[in-house]
Amino acid sequence: MSVASNQLVEQETPLISGDQTFASVTEKISSIAEAKTPKMWYVAIGISASIMFFFLFLIGYLVWEGIGIWGLNIPVGWGWAIVNFVFWVGIGHAGTLISAILFLFRQKWRTSINRFAEAMTLFAVICALIFPGIHVGRIWMAYYMFPLPNQMSMWPNFRSPLLWDVFAVGTYFTVSLLFWYTGLIPDLASMRDRAKTKIRRYVLGFFSLGWRGGNRQWQHYELAYLLLAGLSTPLVLSVHSVVSTDFATSVIPGWHTTIFPPYFVAGAIFSGFAMVNTLAIIARKIYGLEDFITIKHLEKMNIIMLVTGSMVGYAYSCEFFIAWYSGNEYETFTFLNRAFGPYAWAYWTMVSCNVIVPQLFWFKKVRTSVPIMFVMALLVNVGMWFERFVIVVSSLSRDFLPANWDYYSPTWVDVGMFIGSFGLFFTLFLIFLRFVPMIAMAEVKAVLPQADPHFYHGNGHLDTAANTVAVKEGGKA
Amino acid sequence: MNKPSNVLNKEYWRSLNQLADNEEYRKYLENEFPEGASELNSPMKRRNFLGLMGASIALAGLAACRRPVEKIIPYVAQPEEVIPGIPNYYASTIPFGLESFGVIVESHEGHPTKIEGNKKHPSTMGASNILQQASILDLYDPDRSQNVLNGGKISTWSAFEGFWKGMHKEFSANRGKGLAVLSRSFHSPSMARAQHDFMKTFPQARWVNYEAVSDVNIYAGLKIATGRPVQPVYRLDKAKVVFALDADFLYSETDNIRNARGFADGRRLKSEKDDMNRLYVAEGIFTVTGGMADHRLRVNTSQIINLAVALVHELKSLGARSVVADQTKPVQLPEKQAVFINALAKDLIANRGKSLVLAGRRQPAEVHALVYAINNTLKNTGNAVEYYTLEDAGIPDPDEFDLLINDLMTGTVSTLAILGGNPLYDAPADAGFDLAIQIAQHTIHLGSHVDETASKCEWHLPMAHFLESWGDARALDGTLSVVQPLIEPLFGGRSALEIVQLLADGTPTRGYEIVQRNWKKVLRGNFEHSWKKLLHEGVLENSASKPVGTKMKPAEIAKALNGRSPAEVPSAHSLEINFVASPALFDGRFANNGWLQELPDSVSKLSWDNAVLMSLQTAQALGVKNEDVVLLEFEGRELAAPVWIQPGQADFSILLVLGYGRNAAGRIGSGVGFNAYRLRTVKHPDFATGLKITPTSEVYEMANTQDHNSMEGRPIVREASLEEYRKEPNFAPEMVEHPPLVSLWEEHSYEEGYQWGMVIDLNACTGCNACTIACQSENNIPIVGKEQVRNGREMHWLRMDRYFIGDIDEPEMVYQPVGCQQCENAPCEQVCPVQATVHDSEGLNVMAYNRCIGTRYCSNNCPYKVRRFNFFNYTKDLPEIVHMAQNPDVTVRSRGVMEKCTYCTQRINEGKYAAKAEGREVKDGEIVSACEQACPTNAITFGNINDPNSAVVQMKKQNRNYELLAELNVQPRTSYLAKLRNPNPELEKSS
Repeated sequence: MSVASNQLVEQETPLISGDQTFASVTEKISSIAEAKTPKMWYVAIGISASIMFFFLFLIGYLVWEGIGIWGLNIPVGWGWAIVNFVFWVGIGHAGTLISAILFLFRQKWRTSINRFAEAMTLFAVICALIFPGIHVGRIWMAYYMFPLPNQMSMWPNFRSPLLWDVFAVGTYFTVSLLFWYTGLIPDLASMRDRAKTKIRRYVLGFFSLGWRGGNRQWQHYELAYLLLAGLSTPLVLSVHSVVSTDFATSVIPGWHTTIFPPYFVAGAIFSGFAMVNTLAIIARKIYGLEDFITIKHLEKMNIIMLVTGSMVGYAYSCEFFIAWYSGNEYETFTFLNRAFGPYAWAYWTMVSCNVIVPQLFWFKKVRTSVPIMFVMALLVNVGMWFERFVIVVSSLSRDFLPANWDYYSPTWVDVGMFIGSFGLFFTLFLIFLRFVPMIAMAEVKAVLPQADPHFYHGNGHLDTAANTVAVKEGGKA
Repeated sequence: MNKPSNVLNKEYWRSLNQLADNEEYRKYLENEFPEGASELNSPMKRRNFLGLMGASIALAGLAACRRPVEKIIPYVAQPEEVIPGIPNYYASTIPFGLESFGVIVESHEGHPTKIEGNKKHPSTMGASNILQQASILDLYDPDRSQNVLNGGKISTWSAFEGFWKGMHKEFSANRGKGLAVLSRSFHSPSMARAQHDFMKTFPQARWVNYEAVSDVNIYAGLKIATGRPVQPVYRLDKAKVVFALDADFLYSETDNIRNARGFADGRRLKSEKDDMNRLYVAEGIFTVTGGMADHRLRVNTSQIINLAVALVHELKSLGARSVVADQTKPVQLPEKQAVFINALAKDLIANRGKSLVLAGRRQPAEVHALVYAINNTLKNTGNAVEYYTLEDAGIPDPDEFDLLINDLMTGTVSTLAILGGNPLYDAPADAGFDLAIQIAQHTIHLGSHVDETASKCEWHLPMAHFLESWGDARALDGTLSVVQPLIEPLFGGRSALEIVQLLADGTPTRGYEIVQRNWKKVLRGNFEHSWKKLLHEGVLENSASKPVGTKMKPAEIAKALNGRSPAEVPSAHSLEINFVASPALFDGRFANNGWLQELPDSVSKLSWDNAVLMSLQTAQALGVKNEDVVLLEFEGRELAAPVWIQPGQADFSILLVLGYGRNAAGRIGSGVGFNAYRLRTVKHPDFATGLKITPTSEVYEMANTQDHNSMEGRPIVREASLEEYRKEPNFAPEMVEHPPLVSLWEEHSYEEGYQWGMVIDLNACTGCNACTIACQSENNIPIVGKEQVRNGREMHWLRMDRYFIGDIDEPEMVYQPVGCQQCENAPCEQVCPVQATVHDSEGLNVMAYNRCIGTRYCSNNCPYKVRRFNFFNYTKDLPEIVHMAQNPDVTVRSRGVMEKCTYCTQRINEGKYAAKAEGREVKDGEIVSACEQACPTNAITFGNINDPNSAVVQMKKQNRNYELLAELNVQPRTSYLAKLRNPNPELEKSS
């Protein structure tokens, strides 16, 4: 290694603090899933599951009565359901970005957060998928969306972005699930080996697919993981690009915009990191994982939020510029209407939360203060929900012919379903926290200083911190 | 109540016919299924209207599919003329007060489904208006009266006949002393004859014709002016200059179809070289006619008379001879009005003999007398206006009505038969009819519903719908036509004609016999032959009367005018109240018609309600805003109603239309809106000053279908003055500049076969909504109720966009009917994920309802927002009887499905099949869409754009042709012809 890089390494604080060993990592993480269920967990899942069941009840009500129980009208044919869909899909993006893109870029700090970021992705995508599923008028005919061979040779319309959505989000979910599960296998095997009851052993044994940690298995595993990472990477960019085409390919001013794909992806990553941050802050506090998810991890995520938040802010201003520069009166009107029309309150909520708030991350103090960043992450989530609301609703409510203009307001069912989707999300997430190692043990171990092949040689290639650990580890051994 | 006869106990029923038609059996059914039982399980709350429409299924089942014959014929022996699946068309007539509308009724396997105008009838000329289109729904109203009631209990016709037999004997003996008939106005030879018979039997009896809304002022005015109450008939196509004084002659007043057609004909132009008429309007409320005006003067209704007087004097000062002007004093007008009258007078003089002045039915008799004088001075009589004597007519007479009430109070009249009216609802508030009816010994009410009046009468008799009864009618010009039933009375009703004959004879006669008996005197030659021809045509050819010559009595006119005290000028403390018949519900008789209730008002766009309409300035002066409830106080009577701000309404003047606020209309109409009759008095039935308005803290939510009234400067309805048009004939298409509309690939050419297209001439369109209701009737479009309309979910496939232009106090109003534009490059088609909406080879954007899963993406991506979504299952709970009103050729859509205008694809196919069967091409004009057929002004033209000779292509070739939002490259098949106005250059300069 060159001197320069050496110096760089030297400046870096270790990714995992608290003098962890391989054993302590396994112990710490596995024990969370193995210990007796904490009372608080029951309380938490009690609340979130009730909300989830309320959600299921509302879905039943919707199917029974019809879409009319929502606040939709003509011209606003899409409301909270689609807003929620885009919101949840966006949230999912951080997980895939962390696990796949940061993996390919060898960002080792990702190992502490990738597992539950990926879990978050899956659950967010599940929440997301529910909304386009139930928002159709005749849910019992929704299978027409799939290219099922039939005697009438009727196919779905391959020109429709909604169909692209079906494929894009479907693929995304499948790949994300595989990726997450592949990453889980070594950890499940560790837990299997620690299992004390027969059922645990069998269940974990089944899901760990006979993992023994052999050299060849690791070889195959690494390759598979790399391939899946490679496969997921374009999906990070494509899914939200495709979702954005729902709007971008239409003729409606405010939707018909070429900037949408990159803008949506940036927004998705932005909101995703805000969500990861929110969840990570809670989880590390409750489960005492400050050593694994250090302030450094959080700070890095905050920096990503700063970057993507600025991109989103740029997109907002760019839209305005183009609306004026194009000279298209409908386009100009739509954007002025967003800022000053009946939905101005939503627009300015969005701008405040998404553009102004993240700018505070320029300050190191803000970036590294857990309470402040927690509040900010929540605000970003609020802002990103409003961004989708502004795009979907304000554009539709006032389009070409003023005679059609109408105001849309949600009903209690709209609101209930949105809250209900959080119930579903948190229920799934709590189950995940309870039964699955929430941090990728195997991967964390790989970034421990001990994992370095030169660790035990102590030949001066290592930085001082690692050396101290090495002495300790050596002493123990 | 009668004791049940022993038919059921002793005899077996002999035939299905007897079983079905037997009143006793019906009664038995009623007991088995008491009233309201079926309503219990109707889902309500959210969609009240569904509950509204839940019906007595038991009767509906029996009523299904009956043909207008004396006996029911099962289709085992199929009638010759009925082919299942192929509709039959019969001519009939809708009697409507003194008017009548000749119609052609479409009938599917014995049940009528659609009403169109009869081309041979002078008052429809093949077109129709909203009331005619919607009257088909009245036939199948599940709330129609279904039983004879005696003291509120179910009785039978035979019981009533028995009762009347006794009365008949009694009254025959005393020559009818103490007997009175309160009839609606009529214009029918058979009815006049029956009335004659009645009066012959009971010479001492009273016969009073009453209408809450009528043209009595016009007759009174013409009586002053000519000595005779004659009927004016306008020939607007002959008028180059028209001045309407508070007259909504294009929409809500008498003979509006003929007037609208004539007016539009005088305005139609093919190119910038053609000329068009000029319309001046002076009015206090904003009407459809005011919207069409080239110059609209906003004047309080009570001040209109001043304009008429001023005009007479102005004409005189311009050299026209006028005795009336000589004998009356001129009036001092505010400057703006004076300028208007001056320019108008010059224009009228310049177009002497080719102009027309007309006043609305609410204006006092003196105005009508003056208008007659002006038309006479201008030599318009005999040209643009002709007068007819009303033969065989029962002209309403409010004074007689007052006398009748008086006689009832004093006991002079002890037995009252009310034929068809609902005076307990629509009589003036201070007339005291409600008290008088309680004093009468015997009261008989014939009505279609158990309404406000029926519940207070001893006897209630169900009245047959005009599609269930025989009769005849005269048009305003005297043209004879026949009322022919298409179905046996669904609920055992009888017509007013039959009842009058029963009252006169003491024994019942069927309407068919009464009518035929009369016509045997009218028809010449072989009766059977001419009768059949008459039934086929509906109209007796060349039966119109000759216009009568009139002689002006200027002294009388002057005398009447000089005897009038000047009208008070309204102010914030003494406002003007206007009582106008609702264009949709008329005097309230259509209140239980869901189509008309849901139809957005042409001007205010309010649906399911009336409101206190006032100008913005008035509202500001009173400190109220939209939906604020205010207390109206007028001559000691009070009414609370919500405010709606109406641009164009005169200041310190409010309009509350009549016809709403009924409490016994039925499940649709009861409790909708506010009853303006509660403020209407004998002295002031039309308008008055002296109203006080106090704001309250209450707010009342209303359903308005158009939130935004401005075009925001967008080139949507393109309009120019005639002068501008002549300078720039291509102004309409050139209004929008856009880069060449090119495609990345080769588009489908659509050059072969039929290619359907439509043109809507905005210069002819008045905004009368006839197309909207015609479309609703043709395409089984559901009503959704007030709450859903308020939520923005109305289902009209063809909606009437209304925009205001200019000053909020005195705006211009323009209309644009917008249905699916059938874009060749349709944005909706590209985004549907399941290909439920696709293009066919004839250029139609078609919907496959079965394939639609309801993503609503197509609607989002439709720039015109013409697609309608079934947010709920709007048709599931419709009672069986309402199903009969539906067009069997059009799919009834289920919940969760998108729907929209199809250019009446079922009519296109019907036309194509017919042509193919005959081995020929479809002829131009052979296929007409429902909107096109209904349009009174022929503003809509539909046809094959691949045929260079078709009317639609000729229209599209005009330089005013433009496509709405063409710059989006959607290539709509519907195009519009730009609107033109023809302002007087003199007034343009001054303003």
